[in-house]
Amino acid sequence: MLDVQGLRKEYGELVAVRDIRFQLHPGDVFGFIGPNGAGKTTTIKMLATLLEPTAGTATLNGIDIVRHPEEVRPLLGYMPDFFGLYEGITVTEYLEFFAAAYRIPKAQRAAIIDNVLELTDLTVKKDAYVETLSRGMQQRLCLAKSLVHDPILLLLDEPASGLDPRARIEIKELIRELGAMGKIVLVSSHILPELADFCNKIGIIEKGELLVWGAVDEIVAQLQANRVLEIRPLGEPDALIQRLERESHVRGVETRNGSLYVHFAGGLEEQADLLTALIRDGFRIATFREESLDLEDVFMQITKGEVS
Amino acid sequence: MRTLRENPLLRYHLLGATRYRWRRQPWLYGAAVLGIGLVYLLVLQLTVFNEAGMITTLGLALFVMCIAAPLMAYNLFSLEYEKQTWESLALTRLTAREIFWGKYGAALARVALTTLLFAPFLLTTYRATTYVIVAAFIVLFSWGALLVSVGLWLSFKLKRTLTTAATLYAGQVFVLMLFPFLYALFSGGEMGPGQSAIEWVQNYRDGFLAWVISLLNGSLIIYANPFYASAQLEYMAAVPAWWWNAEGWDAYANALRYMLWGFAQSAMYLGLAALFAGFAYRGVKISWRK
Repeated sequence: MLDVQGLRKEYGELVAVRDIRFQLHPGDVFGFIGPNGAGKTTTIKMLATLLEPTAGTATLNGIDIVRHPEEVRPLLGYMPDFFGLYEGITVTEYLEFFAAAYRIPKAQRAAIIDNVLELTDLTVKKDAYVETLSRGMQQRLCLAKSLVHDPILLLLDEPASGLDPRARIEIKELIRELGAMGKIVLVSSHILPELADFCNKIGIIEKGELLVWGAVDEIVAQLQANRVLEIRPLGEPDALIQRLERESHVRGVETRNGSLYVHFAGGLEEQADLLTALIRDGFRIATFREESLDLEDVFMQITKGEVS
Repeated sequence: MRTLRENPLLRYHLLGATRYRWRRQPWLYGAAVLGIGLVYLLVLQLTVFNEAGMITTLGLALFVMCIAAPLMAYNLFSLEYEKQTWESLALTRLTAREIFWGKYGAALARVALTTLLFAPFLLTTYRATTYVIVAAFIVLFSWGALLVSVGLWLSFKLKRTLTTAATLYAGQVFVLMLFPFLYALFSGGEMGPGQSAIEWVQNYRDGFLAWVISLLNGSLIIYANPFYASAQLEYMAAVPAWWWNAEGWDAYANALRYMLWGFAQSAMYLGLAALFAGFAYRGVKISWRK
């Protein structure tokens, strides 16, 4: 389990990360979302033990990352947003290098490397020189390198940046698979629909502050306390607008493209009652549906576009 | 020993990083090796047949070391930063000691190899005594070790390969050429302290005193210059100290011997090398939280 407790990073007057708190469990794939300069990379680097927090700490399976970075490092795999690879060696040699650096016994290395190559779909490239790989393959190799020591926490900073659509899908599948393997995966990205596909939890950070975190469905449900209903009437909408404005749960009505968008404060029961009442009053309704929020809507509702 | 024996970084820097370049451009590298090999043999022939002295052979070796040693260390850490590989390396279970020795060990091995390449020249130097030959070897190696230590530290500190290389070469020009020029400027055009400055040295205690005095009067910047040291080694070979030849011994050669000429400079170089290497090691330990 990863337990982040009030992690804070200051650079002089600038507070890059403000007292961030969240908990993740094995199998969680956590999407870390925020605009550029929000503090995502700083947080990830602190979790990766590369940066010392100004205050707060985090524990991974009970081990404090600030007090015992050397004990935590073998438990985590880190893929930075900008990464490089050692050149002049083959893919297998590259992974052997990291296997040796993680002190994996010689006898086990070959089998582990084969497994990781298979998982990252790089088996056919095992004898290729690292610098001859495409960007997408290098990205997968970097991920493979982060997996050789079988970490329990994976920190992936913008893993899909700079990749073509196919490579993005492949990385996405891979991350999903890693979550299914029981690893805690923390992945930051700007591309929200992408995260929505494979994250079961998200955290939105802005100006160094974690504005919200939790299960995707729960966050969406929280934000949808003020629902928007789309009602498309047949015929002139004026009478319907007047009727809607008399309803106690209706907070406002907008008209767009022949549809009415009703800001509705009630729950599902009240929605059903409203529809029944409208039909009973003789209004002919072609569409009656609740506008659902996606991750982009959530992000836009929560953030203000500010950086720390 | 494990720090060296089972160190993947040392292995990578010694073998991994260059192998592919050989394979990719075999003709280019083949031609270069052939060309350099021919020049090497030609110079060796010239050394033997023209009775080249220590100032020539050690001077030549030092010149090559001055050019080559910075190239052995200038990118050891900076490339990790430029290629963004240092974070992955820092997170492995390699200790700061292993990372340091992986890089420094590879650079030192190359310095040792370069020193060995010049062994035929130093061994065939005209009229060189055992003392002079051993001193020449050790001066050459320790100067190379100093250069790679400074290079390693600068590479860590500056984080830029080209800046590190430029600083190393400019630093050498300053120390090896501008320092003697400054000395000459302040000593009425004299290019060195002269023989009379140390002819009073008659035992090892005097020799030690002579080094202390040289530190105080500024002549150390000349004595510590490896090219100046090589010229005096040639003198020692040409005019022996009293215990080599009781008949024709020379006070200056005697003084040089009591000052442990060559060995003392090497000790200085190695001391400084250890200092800069220590800075680099400490940097890894602190900055990489190792």
